[in-house]
Amino acid sequence: MGSVRSSLRYLFADIIGDEDGDPPFLPDSLPEAAAPAVSDGIHLLMEYQGAGYAQLYVDRIRRFVRRPNVEPVLLSRIAQLLAARMAYEDLSRIAQLKLLKLDRGRGPSGHEADDVRRFHLDELIGVLPPALADSLLACFEQIGWLGRRRLTVRFSTRSRLAVRRLRMMAGLRRWRLHSVRYAEERAWVERWLHMIARALDKQPAAASAVIATAAMIEGQGDSYRQGLADWHAIIDGLAKPTFDGVLPTSDLAAAIAEARAAAMPDPRQAALKRTIAQIRARALAAAPGTNAAE
Amino acid sequence: MDTSHLAEHAGAAGSLFASIFVVATLSMRTMIPLRIFAILTNVVLIATALPMHNYPVLVLHGVLLPLNSYRLHQMLQLVRDVKQSVNSDLSMEWLKPFMTERKCGPGEVLFYKDEKADSMYYIVSGRFRLVESGIELPVGAIVGEFGMISPSNTRTQTLECVEGGLILSVSYDQVEQLYVQNPAFAFYFLRLASARLFQNIETLERRLAQQTATPAVVAKSA
Repeated sequence: MGSVRSSLRYLFADIIGDEDGDPPFLPDSLPEAAAPAVSDGIHLLMEYQGAGYAQLYVDRIRRFVRRPNVEPVLLSRIAQLLAARMAYEDLSRIAQLKLLKLDRGRGPSGHEADDVRRFHLDELIGVLPPALADSLLACFEQIGWLGRRRLTVRFSTRSRLAVRRLRMMAGLRRWRLHSVRYAEERAWVERWLHMIARALDKQPAAASAVIATAAMIEGQGDSYRQGLADWHAIIDGLAKPTFDGVLPTSDLAAAIAEARAAAMPDPRQAALKRTIAQIRARALAAAPGTNAAE
Repeated sequence: MDTSHLAEHAGAAGSLFASIFVVATLSMRTMIPLRIFAILTNVVLIATALPMHNYPVLVLHGVLLPLNSYRLHQMLQLVRDVKQSVNSDLSMEWLKPFMTERKCGPGEVLFYKDEKADSMYYIVSGRFRLVESGIELPVGAIVGEFGMISPSNTRTQTLECVEGGLILSVSYDQVEQLYVQNPAFAFYFLRLASARLFQNIETLERRLAQQTATPAVVAKSA
């Protein structure tokens, strides 16, 4: 009977989720000083998605264990930021957090205040799998709603109906790994890790600054979109050309810090783009034999 | 002469045969025999439905017969192509009918080093570069075929599109399905993967021999 049940569970794993796994072990040779951060990350992702997702986190951390130039402090920072980014805030995460608060007991007033968040339309559609989301996104793009339309979602625990709605939203996490948003987040995380690895190879002194750029992306809606655009502008304008050998930036860490300081909540990114252009011009002018117009 | 009782007997016999074939079809473990028995079932049921003027059954199996035949043809062709590839140029072009098209823009990264591998690619057009080694891959190259059979299942290089082009991709899940459904394909696929691995080892050995020979020549001339 047990084997039949496990076969059925395997067959419907995509629908009912894979929740019964044990937490993964810490990577071999992990420095003791970094163990608490990695352990916290595993705990967070077990709660966020499940054992398989926590294992993916451990596999990603393993890439930097025993790697030259990676001190325990650096590894702990990667572990913290990676866990935070992998536990990105989508509809089901916000609902899940609200329910956790409810389960741990209400506030002193007896009722937890409602959480009202504003999402872009494509963020909400992003919880669907590509087969569904692509056609919907194409439709909304044609009528001009995409990128402009924002929707307010209220996360409330005031009534039984509202709590039930939250549970339904939190239940969407079973399909999270098949969603458009997950594919985007996965690509982003891999690019960030790739940039860290290249920094460790090409300019180890800048690795810490590259790691810290992950903190630029948080939340949802406008702030998320702005952070993401700023991050890509800094990486495409400064970090990648430096690693490719196209831009002779001698102090990439300082360049990233300067660019980050210029990042404002401005969708046109005028100040940031100007600062990046100035840094590039300075770097090209300082290096003899390079073409300043490059 | 009344022939209705003959049609009735033929119908009963046909139904009996069809039932036997249905049981046989469902008891098959692999895809090729399953398709063959499904085709036999379709033929028997069409032959039974004709004299009895049972049109719904006739239409249903009239559709299923070409479908099963096409799928069987696809499977047999796949096995033949893989077998041919093992005995000739070790190419993986036979995978093309199972792949989906994807356009790539300059700067787009198809996968990163150390990332979990989940699909393989065939370069149709454009320019693609392995970032860590700086090697540019030619049109017609297959990338990522070893990720499927390697124990760590991770990418060993980053693949970046330098000049916009077209690639075909197939997920490891799809190849695994072909592998599991078809033991002949599985056998030849294993032989092909091993042959490509041995080919890589030979290339590496040649390069190593060249590298060790060069310092020796330099030392002699010095």
